[in-house]
Amino acid sequence: MVDKKSLRSNKSGDSSSSNNSNKNPNSSSGNNPPSKSTRSSSRRTASTPSTKKAAGASDKKMTDDKKQAAPVQDLAMKDAEQDVKKDATGDVEMADAAKSGEDDKKDDENKVEDPLVTTSNEIKQSFGMLERAVSLFDARFTLRVLRSIASLRRKITPEILAKVINEFYPLGHPSRAYLLDTIGQPESAMQVEGETDIHKVLPEADIYLHLLVQIYLLDQKQYEEGAEFSTRLVGKVHSLNRRTLDSLASKVYFYYARFYELLPVPALVDIRQQLLASLRTATLRKDIDLQATLITLLLRNYLQTSDITQADHLVNKTKFPESAANNLIARYNYYLGKIKAIQLDYSGAHEQLVSAIRKAPQTPAAVGFLQAANKLNIIVELLMGDIPDRATFRDPRLQKALNPYFLLVKAVRVGELEPFFSTLQANSDTFKKDGLYSLVYRLRQNVIKTGIRMMSLTYSRISLRDICLRLGLESEESAEYIVAKAIRDGVIEATLDHEKGYMQSKEILDVYATQEPQEVFHSRIEFCMSLHNDSVKAMRFPMNQHRLELKNAQEARERERELAKEIQEGEMDDDDTGGEFDGL
Amino acid sequence: MADIRTLHQSLHQSVASKDYPRAAGLLSKLKLALLEHNALIPSHDIPAQALIQARDILEVGAVVSIHLNDEAAFLRYYAQLQPFYASTALEATPSANKNKIAGLYLLLLLTKNNIADFHTTLENLPDGEDDAFVRYPVMLEQWLMEGSYDKVWQATKSSQVPSEEYAKFSQVLVGTIRHEIASCSEKAYASLPVSNAKQLLFLESEGAVVQFAQEREWEVRDGRIYFPVEEGEKEALSSNRIIENTIGYAQELETIV
Repeated sequence: MVDKKSLRSNKSGDSSSSNNSNKNPNSSSGNNPPSKSTRSSSRRTASTPSTKKAAGASDKKMTDDKKQAAPVQDLAMKDAEQDVKKDATGDVEMADAAKSGEDDKKDDENKVEDPLVTTSNEIKQSFGMLERAVSLFDARFTLRVLRSIASLRRKITPEILAKVINEFYPLGHPSRAYLLDTIGQPESAMQVEGETDIHKVLPEADIYLHLLVQIYLLDQKQYEEGAEFSTRLVGKVHSLNRRTLDSLASKVYFYYARFYELLPVPALVDIRQQLLASLRTATLRKDIDLQATLITLLLRNYLQTSDITQADHLVNKTKFPESAANNLIARYNYYLGKIKAIQLDYSGAHEQLVSAIRKAPQTPAAVGFLQAANKLNIIVELLMGDIPDRATFRDPRLQKALNPYFLLVKAVRVGELEPFFSTLQANSDTFKKDGLYSLVYRLRQNVIKTGIRMMSLTYSRISLRDICLRLGLESEESAEYIVAKAIRDGVIEATLDHEKGYMQSKEILDVYATQEPQEVFHSRIEFCMSLHNDSVKAMRFPMNQHRLELKNAQEARERERELAKEIQEGEMDDDDTGGEFDGL
Repeated sequence: MADIRTLHQSLHQSVASKDYPRAAGLLSKLKLALLEHNALIPSHDIPAQALIQARDILEVGAVVSIHLNDEAAFLRYYAQLQPFYASTALEATPSANKNKIAGLYLLLLLTKNNIADFHTTLENLPDGEDDAFVRYPVMLEQWLMEGSYDKVWQATKSSQVPSEEYAKFSQVLVGTIRHEIASCSEKAYASLPVSNAKQLLFLESEGAVVQFAQEREWEVRDGRIYFPVEEGEKEALSSNRIIENTIGYAQELETIV
């Protein structure tokens, strides 16, 4: 699988590099308008390799996940993010695919080229994209570059990086020596591209190269160096104020936070100040990408040291940008759900988690996130007194990870304390690792409530002594208080007789005589309505399209007026007018 | 530094002799002195020894304010102590009293019925479960939530509390559970003999039961308490809501079509 994939991606690398070897990257921006005729035919060619690639990536991700599910989770998400963004950049890709079709012949010649050249050409092609992004002021080109990092990442070697750096930066540029020093490669005096002016280096491309080095350090597990490098890089990004840099900057911050997460604990706390300062700047600059990234990073940071209060303050004091990328919203929802669950706002947490699960990318790469969100959601549902849907546990992607939770649900459903505690003991390590132990521990009272409800449904009258024995409680007095509380909280409909010591259940009410069906119906309609409204809001329209239409309408009207005028003047033959109308 | 040391010693003496008002006076002097030495906020520039001393003074302050029933002061001390507990400079010498202070704070939140903050704080105490001071409020919360009020009652007796400061909260807790039990009883029983109610509500005499019943407007007749019967509140489908919803749907449809 992996071999096939790498072959394929090499091939696609070839095809794109062949563009570059002929023309310089600048020219590709001009001569490549998406032509409508080739678009539909190229759609097929474009989609097949990309799906294969995604599947290959997922295979690798799955094995990674097993090793260290929690830390990888966010990374996995990040990758998936790029998959989702594919849609947004779809037409650009098709345009390029059409071009690669033309160059098929050259592909064959280039196939034997070694990865050093192809990969570095691939990177260089990204420079062209970035330039286009800057000149057209269109973020989609940048997103496309970022998406390609996922596949590049596996192929990068220090030699490739060194080659690109040597060729890209003019001699004497400070980044040149610095980057080469970081990856431990010698500086070569060779000057390939014609550029010699130090100031002509595009900041986007500069940051992009830095980002590649940053990712390389992460993959090499050089956390100390990576952290130091990232800190400098963040300082650099922070000082630049360019809107075309926004999505690159988000990535830089993401890996910056990741490095510090992997270092011993106090490091995590140290970067908060920088993150908060950057968040302030991003908010002032209306940099939505970075804002959303930083808020989620900060929340993750706080939750990792269980500083729930600070996380809560952050949520209250900031406004999460609504137009952020879907994946960031999903992540934000997840963190919010966790905070609310800890603060006992279960229904609020449930709402957040459900939307997190729905918004999470359904690609296999995001499976770690889905697992974590589902775990938390199961606990929250149990705490709310609901039993989670069994289908959740059957999902092949979740089945294994959720097994301890499945056992837990079974224990809670029965309503007996003993099986509950034995499950809790047996799986306590899993729960602690997932950071949910204290939440799971809160389920004790739910187990008791479920038990009481079962008994109240089964028996019309039962002595307190039996309740006490059934639930495994210590004393009859406890049982009496607990049942009384259950009655008050509306868990059961019953009365107590203190002197004779029994619980008498009331007749079960007919739900259809109450407001409940109406309310449930209402909430579903509400949901459908908001879904509709959201999808309307999410539609994208090409810029200035309406002006074009207006112009067309105006022209048509003018033509009509002219025609009318001509008819009026009677200078026209009948045949001619007919022809004109057909044309209209 | 010398004046702090002497003041610190006399502070411990006055706490040992339970002269809390005097301790409070000493504390305000000490805090001023600490402020002059810049030791109220931990940083790496200050010798660890001074910080440990500052931490101890603040901890004593927190305990003293509990004895003086000064909640606001306790919360202030608690907030001031947090940076000390989080400080990396003091990591080598953790405070022996940390869990005690945390437990008191949890108990305070519990008596104020601030359960959300209670759990948030608890998340920050990873090793809490094994500590007597922290376990006490945690167990109380659990019993309160599931309704084992008799266990709470047992735990508030002076022989059960982990330290004398904890007993300060017992009074409030008993009041809380009494009201909880009362509201439960209203729903759960039709009527109850006064003698049984005395047991249930943990009151000392039947006279106290009658007084309590009057406070909650229960009817006492022939040695039995009759709880007010709920009115049949289950009204039929409220037409207003339905009309409101339907108009809402109509509006939404209008925008779609």
